[in-house]
Parts: sequence; C-alpha cells; structure tokens
Amino acid sequence: MRWFFLVLAIAVVATIYAIGPRGEKFSDPPFELFPDMDHQFKFRPQESSQFFADDQVAQKPVTGTVPLGYSLPHAGNDDDLGSDLAYSSGDSYFSTGQFGDFYGKGYPKEVTLDAALVKRGQERFQIFCTPCHGETGDGQGVVSKYWAIPPTANLIDARVSALPEGQIFSTITHGKGLMGPYNGVIPVKDRWAIVSYVKSLQKASGN
Amino acid sequence: MGNIFPRWTNLLAVKLLVCLGALGTCVIAVAWYSWTPKYTRVGYMPQQPIPFDHSLHAGQLGMDCRYCHTHVENSLHSNIPAAEVCWNCHGAGKVKSDSPKLEPLRQAMDENYENFTGEPIKWVQIHKTPDYAYFDHSVHVNRGVSCVECHGRVDEMPVVYHAKSLSMSWCLDCHRDPAANLRPLDEITNLDWTAEDLDKDQFYAELAGKTGAKVEELKAADEGKEWSRELIGAHLKEAWQIHPPQDCAACHR
Repeated sequence: MRWFFLVLAIAVVATIYAIGPRGEKFSDPPFELFPDMDHQFKFRPQESSQFFADDQVAQKPVTGTVPLGYSLPHAGNDDDLGSDLAYSSGDSYFSTGQFGDFYGKGYPKEVTLDAALVKRGQERFQIFCTPCHGETGDGQGVVSKYWAIPPTANLIDARVSALPEGQIFSTITHGKGLMGPYNGVIPVKDRWAIVSYVKSLQKASGN
Repeated sequence: MGNIFPRWTNLLAVKLLVCLGALGTCVIAVAWYSWTPKYTRVGYMPQQPIPFDHSLHAGQLGMDCRYCHTHVENSLHSNIPAAEVCWNCHGAGKVKSDSPKLEPLRQAMDENYENFTGEPIKWVQIHKTPDYAYFDHSVHVNRGVSCVECHGRVDEMPVVYHAKSLSMSWCLDCHRDPAANLRPLDEITNLDWTAEDLDKDQFYAELAGKTGAKVEELKAADEGKEWSRELIGAHLKEAWQIHPPQDCAACHR
C-alpha cells in the first residue's frame, strides 16, 4: 500500500509536469482527442489540398469557361453588378468610372447619393484609406508618422478636389503611383460610397 | 482445516478498493483537466511564415480588422488576406519593403525579385471549428458580436494565439444568454470597447428609432440600473430581435 501510493504520487507529479497548465503557449498543431469527422472529405474556404496541382482549394475557372450563375464581363451583362457585393467589372460607368476614354462626372444610376451612402463611405474610408490618407484625407495618415515613404496624396487639396467622381473611383480601383489597386478588397458599390465621402471631405475643407 | 487465507488478506479487499479509488480519482482528475479544448486548444501559437505583428498593425497603428479580413461582414469565412493586400503597404519602395521577415511576401508578389515564385504565403490557421460544425462570421459581426468575444485581444498579441476554447459548451453559454457579448455595430472592431465608451444619448436615440419607444421612457426605465454590457446588450437583443438558436441543427447541418 505504501509503495503503491509512493508510485502513484510520483506518477501524478510526472503527469502534472508533462501536461502543464491550461493556456500554456505551444506551437504544434492541437492534439485532437476524438478526431471523428473533424476532417471530412470536403473543402473549406482557403484550405490547401493535395488534390489540385497547385495545392489550393480555390481554383480559377478553366480558361474560356464561365461558372454557372455568372455572366461574361464585357458582354453588356451588367445586370448583376447592382449587387452590394459585386467585385467583378463590366465596362459600364458603374464598374469603371469611365465613359469610353473619359472619366465621368457624377454618380452612376446604380448608386443613389444620400446620407446612407456617405455614412457607408465614411465607415469604409476609415477602414481602407485612413492608414495613409488620414482621418480627414489630408495625406497625414499614421504611415507618414512612422515611416518616411514618398508623400501620400492630400485628398482635400485643390488638385484632387477638381477631379471628377469617375477619376477618384478609378484611382481606388486601379491604384496610382505607390498606391495599390483596391478592386479586390472593396466592392464596386462601396468604392462609390467612398467617393461620395471624399467629396464631402473636400467640401468641408472648403476646396 | 487450517486457515486457507492468511491474516493479511483480511484487509486486502479494502486496500484494493482504496488503491483503485485513488488511481481512478487521479485519472479522472487528469482527464477532467486536460481532455477539453480549454487545455488542448487554448494557447495554440503556431509559427507563421511571416511574423506578422497584430499588436503593431491593429494596436499601435490602429488599423481596422476589416482592412485585411475584408469578407468577415459578408461571408461565413473571415478571410486571410491575399498577398496583394500586404503588398499595398509593403510593396517595393514602400514600408519596410526590404525587411528579411517579408521574404515570403516578395517571393509571392515581386516579379523583379530573383527568388520570385508567385506561390501564395502559407499562413497557418489557428482557430478552426471541426468540419461538422457550421459557423458563420457574418451573422455574428452584423448582430453586435465583436471579434474580441471569440478571438481575444488580438490587437495586443505580437503573435496570435488561440485565446478562447471555442468548445461547444462555450458557444452555448453565449447562445443561451448573449446580452453581455453584444455591442453597437460601429464598435464591432474596437477591441478594447467598454460600456463606459458608449455615448448614452446617441444610444437611446438610436434605440428609440428602432423600437418606436420614447427616449425619456427608455431612460426612465433604466434609472437606477447599473450601466453595464448586460444592460446595453439586453436593449440591443430586444431591438434586433436576437434569438440565438440552441437546437442541434443550428450548427450541425
């Protein structure tokens, strides 16, 4: 009995030492006690998979094909672009900010300029634009505070204030100079909302 | 007939019971402590291909979570950003673009770089529900459940780790009584938001707009109550008609 408890005590101490406390940091993948059906034969977003040659689950459409439920861009099919979440682009003013080779002035028919749009634009501006362009759009964002990179455009000076809406939209879409394109992260409608907010910032600054 | 059982066997059964009992207690204690996501998952802090510092980007620089995790409001999946998003700031000639830590980014994005491969950066997923559990980010963040409720103070983590257990009972705790975890939608990515930060007049005005009640009536009803997350959450729960599902098919579908 005495021996048993001695061995048990040693075993308990060893176990406690081995498992450690809850919440301890570790870097190996978590141990799965009952892995039944944790990993099923299905793909989740952004997972990797050996099934495809490039190890990615997200596959691009085969060249020359159109997925079910989508329509060809540049074929006059802009019907589904009124959606709040559309990223794809046709060649309408709504999708490009341009009429042919010229930047358009004003907002496309898919967008209604109202308080809700500007408020949405303010929220999106603060997410995507303020790091570089600053809260007020004056180009003094937090990036310029810490790093000496070439100056960021002052969105409320006279030069930018004179730009038509379509050109601001196009700059958000494709980037300019050091600024990268934001067409992959901001849906088309939100880009127009940001344009409307930039316009109100310019108005507020008096330019 | 002599004694078949010697004298020491008198207590054998009792001793065996005591020993087995002690052993069983220890085994159960260890299992209780460690056979749970509170032990197996909390603290998971894998090394990432690029040592991305959330405490710098989301904390010090104050960038919004949604700058990178763009689809969280619209999708069940909160996406890891494409390398292109990193490249917006860390591209050639921009912030810290020649840092050796950004090697995988240059390999993925910089076509003029000698080791350019175009391969995506292989980030390691930390928070993962099992494949039989369906979780939708968009419904949560669009109804006032902030990132911080499930992921902890990511804006204070130099290296992100698994902060909450994400076990089923943990999910159900909130689904049974979500009030303390709800907040106004414009504070959803403000991870250190507290009840004190709320503009009360604006809150009651918006609440009155949603429910049709009068601001004065709402204020009078709350007179003397402690101003807390629970109180704010209870109002939001009522205004938004939040009834979190508790049946199996809500998540196991």
